Amino acid sequence: MSVHLNKKTKWRVILIVLMMVLFISCIVATTLGTARVKIGDSLGIVLHQVPIIGKFVELDDVSKNHQAIVKNIRLPRIILSVLVGVSLSVSGTTFQGLFKNPMADPFVIGISSGAALGATLAIVFKLNTTIPFFNTISFFAFLGAAGATFLVYNLAKIKSKIPVTTLLLSGIAVGQFLTAIMSFLMVIFSHDLHKIIFWTLGSFATKGWAEVRLLLLPAAIGWSLLYYFAKDLNIMLLGEESAQHLGIKVERTKGIILLINSFVVAIVVAVSGIIGFVGLIIPHIARLYVGPDHRILIPVAGLTGGIFMLFVDTIARTIISPMEVPVGIITALFGGPFFIYLLRKKKSTL
Amino acid sequence: MPIAVELENIIFGYDKERILNDISIDIQSQKFTTIIGPNGSGKSTLLKVISSLISPDNGIVRLDGIDIKNMSQLDIARKVAVVPQENNIEYRFTVQDIVMMGRYPHLGRFQTESIRDYKLVGNALEMTNTIHLKDRYINELSGGEKQRVIIARALAQQPKIILLDEPTSYLDIQHQVEILELLENLNKEEGLTVIAILHDINLAARFSNNMILLKDGTVIGEGNPREVITLENLKNAYEIDMIISKNPYSNSPYVIPLSRMGKGKIIKEEKIHVICGGGTGTDLIQRLTANGYKVTTGVLNIGDSDWKFSQIYDIETIEEAPFTDISDNSYSSNISAIERSGIVILTSIPVGSGNLKNLEAVHYALNAEKRVIFLDQYVNQVKYDYTTGDGEKLIMNIRNNCRENYKSIQELLLNL
Repeated sequence: MSVHLNKKTKWRVILIVLMMVLFISCIVATTLGTARVKIGDSLGIVLHQVPIIGKFVELDDVSKNHQAIVKNIRLPRIILSVLVGVSLSVSGTTFQGLFKNPMADPFVIGISSGAALGATLAIVFKLNTTIPFFNTISFFAFLGAAGATFLVYNLAKIKSKIPVTTLLLSGIAVGQFLTAIMSFLMVIFSHDLHKIIFWTLGSFATKGWAEVRLLLLPAAIGWSLLYYFAKDLNIMLLGEESAQHLGIKVERTKGIILLINSFVVAIVVAVSGIIGFVGLIIPHIARLYVGPDHRILIPVAGLTGGIFMLFVDTIARTIISPMEVPVGIITALFGGPFFIYLLRKKKSTL
Repeated sequence: MPIAVELENIIFGYDKERILNDISIDIQSQKFTTIIGPNGSGKSTLLKVISSLISPDNGIVRLDGIDIKNMSQLDIARKVAVVPQENNIEYRFTVQDIVMMGRYPHLGRFQTESIRDYKLVGNALEMTNTIHLKDRYINELSGGEKQRVIIARALAQQPKIILLDEPTSYLDIQHQVEILELLENLNKEEGLTVIAILHDINLAARFSNNMILLKDGTVIGEGNPREVITLENLKNAYEIDMIISKNPYSNSPYVIPLSRMGKGKIIKEEKIHVICGGGTGTDLIQRLTANGYKVTTGVLNIGDSDWKFSQIYDIETIEEAPFTDISDNSYSSNISAIERSGIVILTSIPVGSGNLKNLEAVHYALNAEKRVIFLDQYVNQVKYDYTTGDGEKLIMNIRNNCRENYKSIQELLLNL
């Protein structure tokens, strides 16, 4: 019995610590940038935004300029990067569990290629829409992501079943096909090359509260739904047949998880571009520390992903400030060596 | 006797190939039932139909009288647990975590495991003798340990019926017996209905109350081991000759498969007459027939193990009534068999007054300038002469006069 209680307590401690680290990182990140804001001021500005608590925070001493920078520019960008980091990591974790494949990531079923093609079309044909919340490129990226997923899903379906191998292979095939079309467009419309490349590398530059509002609700619902299937994912790691023998409706569960992930990731890609690496590696890092149980793995991977994304985006916007480096470059540049270090260090217990 | 699983006219196939061909059987509750049959006979498919992993094209499956179509996946999981053949879990779950997964069908989605669940898991671990492994990682266990943990998980499911698909196929002999004894105990003490596919007919016969023999998706034998394990059934199912004797310790039928090539075509001109007895000839006869020689044997008492073997192999044999000395009549039949053959082989038979005439027949062959080969393996035997020295004298004589003495069958075959 004590083992059981210890485990649950341990899990709670891990989650609380990670949440605190995330909160502190957010506050610290708001102080960094061309304009240096004092940490106390930052904390004040942030808390001022929170209902109820906000009333007790005095902002009289803080310059209006700093208030505007933190409130309108840095804070939404920080929140957005955390949302994206959490979403990609949670999605990667569930995909790796579902496919029982360590190579799976949120983009494995062709979402990224679809989104990239959609964005490219919007850029090269100078398309214009007036969809609320979305800008044009984001909207077409979303359409491309959703379309690619739909296509891959239906290609992989054999008599109401979705065999994992077929799904992964269809994802790769469709992905390559769409990427080829995109490359072709890039060659033809070479004057848009810079813009397309920048979009595909992913960035939070110029993103604000609109994107946060767009992503927040679907992402939060998506995470909760995926967490709802944590136990099922654990059992599905034993193999689909065993899972069915334990009472899980495997095909239905697979379909639901695919659907939720596709929807969340499509929105994420639409607002931030294709940020690789996070959804692949963060789940592995989390697994190294807390093991394969999705009841703890999903939240830990999510929080770690949020912290990591915040960290790399802060670097992306400050390292050669006032210039911006696409965040997708920084994720792999910093994350890659870090992951290899962890892998080597933990090798004996992997 | 209550019925645990009732199958009625089950038909299942992929495309045009029928895997299960109109199967109707009742599997009794609280019994140990094994399913045997050659590869591809539909055993695993049948098990999958029972566990509702696949639904048959036609027919009805009933668990405790309830049509499986009217049961949800969870209902079935609360009644039936399955132990698959292979359990390759590469993830670092502890043994306790894995066994706790067996509680899944009994727990609500956000219900945390109660003290009762931990107790049930503890019991399952104890019953399978894996309690000491509970904090170890599943992916670090040996094959036998892993299999026991998976059985523990199945028990934590509190099933009425446990289905096992060759649970012992990757285990060595002591673990095979260990697992089967565990299942036997669970069956006897907890009243668990055990339905297992087993590869090893002898283990199946030893442990099961009932057996089902499948071939090409059809049940060709059903009942207790003695009813199912018959020469006719096995020959029919496995297309190979077998000897059925009795397991001296458990009294269950015991099957010994014979060389499949045994009754191959006769391709050699040379006839060989083998003088054997007491089982000294079986291996040699198998090898000779496998190499395409036409073999005769004699003189053998009816009921002698070499005689039995000759019967199964349809080998022409000069026989004598059981426990009787070789008569002049059979002796002369033996001599004429020797005359008809190109080669005479003498195996290392135990000699008694009853079969002394067989040695005399070898002497006859030597004198008649026949090619005589002596498979001289007497060195291995402590005592072979049950006469008052006459046997030994004759054998010494043969040893000295015979030009071809070989110590092993391999050597003999090489020089044939």
